[in-house]
Amino acid sequence: MTHSLAIETQDLGRAYKIREAKKKEAKTLVALRDVSLQVPRGELFGLLGPNGAGKTTLIKILTTLLAPTAGWARVAGFDVARAPNQVRPRINMVSGGESSGYGLLTVRENLWMFAQFYGIPTKPANARIDELLATLKMSDRANTKSSDLSTGLRQKTNIARGFLTDPQVLFLDEPTLGLDVGASRDVRAFVRGWINADRARTLLLTTHYMVEADELCDHVAIINQGRVLACDAPANLKQRLQREAIFHLEVSPLKDSVLPMLQALPGVCQVTHHPADDRAALDFILADESVLGAVINTLTQADIRLLRLDKRAPTLEDVFVNLVGRSIEEVERADPSPA
Amino acid sequence: MPILPPLEKDTGWRLFLRTVIGRAYPRVVGMQRERSWLFFEVMLPTLAVAAYVFVYRAMRAPEEYVGFVVVGGAMTAFWLNVLWAMSSQLYWEKEQGNLALYIIAPNSLMAILLGMAVGGLYATTLRAAGVILLGSWLFQVQYAVTSLPALLAVFALAMTALYGMGMMLSSVFLLLSREAWHLSNLAQEPIYLLSGFYFPIKHFNFWIAASASIIPLTLGLDAMRQLVFPSGATLGFLSVPVEIVILSILCVVFLVAAQGLLGYMERLAIREGRLTESRR
Amino acid sequence: MFNLRAEIENREWVPWRSFRIATWLGWQIESNWTDPFLFAVYSIVKPLASALILVVMYGVITNGDFTSPLFPYIYLGNAFYMYVGAVMTGVSWSVIDDREHYKTLKYIYTAPVDYMAYLIGRGVARVLTGSFSVLITIGCGVAFLRVPIHVAAIDVPLFGVTLVIGILLLALLGVLLAGLTLVLAHHAGYLGESVAGALYLFSGAIFPLDILPAWLQPIGFLMPITYWLELLRRALIGSVAEAFPTLAGFSNAHLLLILLALTLVFGVVSVLVFRLCDQRARALGLIDQVTNH
Repeated sequence: MTHSLAIETQDLGRAYKIREAKKKEAKTLVALRDVSLQVPRGELFGLLGPNGAGKTTLIKILTTLLAPTAGWARVAGFDVARAPNQVRPRINMVSGGESSGYGLLTVRENLWMFAQFYGIPTKPANARIDELLATLKMSDRANTKSSDLSTGLRQKTNIARGFLTDPQVLFLDEPTLGLDVGASRDVRAFVRGWINADRARTLLLTTHYMVEADELCDHVAIINQGRVLACDAPANLKQRLQREAIFHLEVSPLKDSVLPMLQALPGVCQVTHHPADDRAALDFILADESVLGAVINTLTQADIRLLRLDKRAPTLEDVFVNLVGRSIEEVERADPSPA
Repeated sequence: MPILPPLEKDTGWRLFLRTVIGRAYPRVVGMQRERSWLFFEVMLPTLAVAAYVFVYRAMRAPEEYVGFVVVGGAMTAFWLNVLWAMSSQLYWEKEQGNLALYIIAPNSLMAILLGMAVGGLYATTLRAAGVILLGSWLFQVQYAVTSLPALLAVFALAMTALYGMGMMLSSVFLLLSREAWHLSNLAQEPIYLLSGFYFPIKHFNFWIAASASIIPLTLGLDAMRQLVFPSGATLGFLSVPVEIVILSILCVVFLVAAQGLLGYMERLAIREGRLTESRR
Repeated sequence: MFNLRAEIENREWVPWRSFRIATWLGWQIESNWTDPFLFAVYSIVKPLASALILVVMYGVITNGDFTSPLFPYIYLGNAFYMYVGAVMTGVSWSVIDDREHYKTLKYIYTAPVDYMAYLIGRGVARVLTGSFSVLITIGCGVAFLRVPIHVAAIDVPLFGVTLVIGILLLALLGVLLAGLTLVLAHHAGYLGESVAGALYLFSGAIFPLDILPAWLQPIGFLMPITYWLELLRRALIGSVAEAFPTLAGFSNAHLLLILLALTLVFGVVSVLVFRLCDQRARALGLIDQVTNH
């Protein structure tokens, strides 16, 4: 790859025509709008946003599976719409929560089959399969039929398939979706190791796990409702909230009327409310620490007991809340449709 | 993370060939893995063959008709394979999430379809041969092959045209989505009837037989009957050379149409974005 | 105060409730007839094409002589045999459908239902949709192929009683297959087809049993479906049955008695096998297996 940018998009957009049952007129759903991104080679780039934000649509466009309806995109220096046959030998994709191949084949056979589709001769393919399975801690399952694997192992096989062809640009769509904590940690370590091993490789990762994006990515784009709201290194994104004060409060259950009162206080930039059975958690982004007094006064006057108070360093979650006005959880609760 | 040597990857015709072999593999090896297929895919069709043999015997039919039933019954395996494992296959691949992976890979989708066809043909030939051997032994069928080269040529052409048709239909069935299941069901018994799996199609009206000849197995079976049974030639719909010419034309038409429709399906899939969506 | 638990336990006899709900569910799943295309495919085209294969075979060999009693023998046997596929295979298929396709088997199984009654309920819709196919096939035979059924000559009581016993028998055989399906992992889908295929051969559906090699004929005489089909043919066209020697020595009453006795035997065996398989499936943890083949 001679091009210095692995991925480049300009004003990229995608609209779907949706015909609802029993209605004659088609509705237009805009899944992606005006997305302009530049991802240099060697970078682990994160797309962060709630379900339905447009992450999968963007990946589909970049992997030549879907044509954009506006703008353009280049991957490995080639236009995805005009030169898909140049893009495809240089990429691969793994979608989390999915398995690939055929249940009647063993793990090794499935991986060998996909290696053939990329023109990899059997000997190097087998050597690579051995290495990948060892790294993913599943060498002992190489000869197990895929239909006999657990969900987590199927997903690991799918991940191995993506890395097997040594793509210049790899797209990982929610790779840890549905994996347990240990398996997720293995996958994250593997992803980081892969990119570090050769800086000509580029990896685009979508996730709605903030910690995952924070831990792994060199740069992160925050996406919501089809738009990119911010794009920078995680540290720089968090730096934006450096001037603000971030507090986490646990209080007795909140009455409905209290939240609007808190939101209306001068100096309160954002409040997110996480109700639980016997308590409620409140995350505040305040213009400065002095606003905290007014917050506590308001709670006390409303007979709300303060159970715990922490001052925190900003996280990507706070950045998202600051940009969108709601947490990822709240956005997903309000519109649970997947992308 | 281990540092692996850079990969040398084949391109062009070598990649095409690798893809064909890769996609044929699950059918060549995977489908033989559980020995139970010998029972379910040889014994069951033989039961159906036996029922039709006994019907002919109840009608006091000439003994050659028993041979027609054995050969025709074995050939149903190819039709079922083309319907359920070729025509419907891209739809199943979509549902399993494999179709998107095939599209983003650098190979040609035509090579994927060809791999399915080669693998399916191999696995089905084993099954059909099993039914013919078992049926011929059980019912003491007598064969009199007049020309082995012609027989092999007819079989090869009929299979190329038939699997070419399956490759073409795979794109059509994908576009029709769930209706494909019903269409495959619809195309079972009516095709057994029209293609003359259990009797010579010469007994049909000329135009019905001619229309049924669009299914390559119709003429393939008719020509094979003429070449392996003593009275076959008198019961043939058209002469074997004419049937060979028509089968050759069908091969070209179906393979060209398969390529054209596959390209159309891929463009439509990328434009509309729905053909690679699994419904899970 | 409203007591939900008491309401559930006392309101309705559990087997009846299970049967009733399953009948409704089966009807929702099977009611293809509301879609003209699907009705045409499954209730008209497929059954008629199957029948026409036999008609053409018969026409080719006899040069179109449809007056022989063999023709209605074959035609009616084939038409009524559709109930075997619809009911017996249908009842057992609902296990696979619930387990592998809808993935609801574990929820149904753990609900307070009588699973056997539930399975039989699922077969009711199959009886109704299967009846469309049988009626259409026989109607076409009478209208276009001169199958000699004369309404005035039909022995209605014999036909009604035989049909009801036969459908009950098929439902019970379906329960037997459903039990085996519960413990079968990989080839459950083939089971109904295998058994239906074997019975087609051994129950005199499309040829008299004496055409079978002598050593295979006893299997046919042990199958209740043999007597069921013979009685249905006798009830519709008495003369057809008399033309074949296989069961000519038996009166209608004799055949009915044999059918009843065999139904009872097969029914008891079916229930026992089902209960055994049910226990085994639970012991092996197979109730919610998905074979993924």
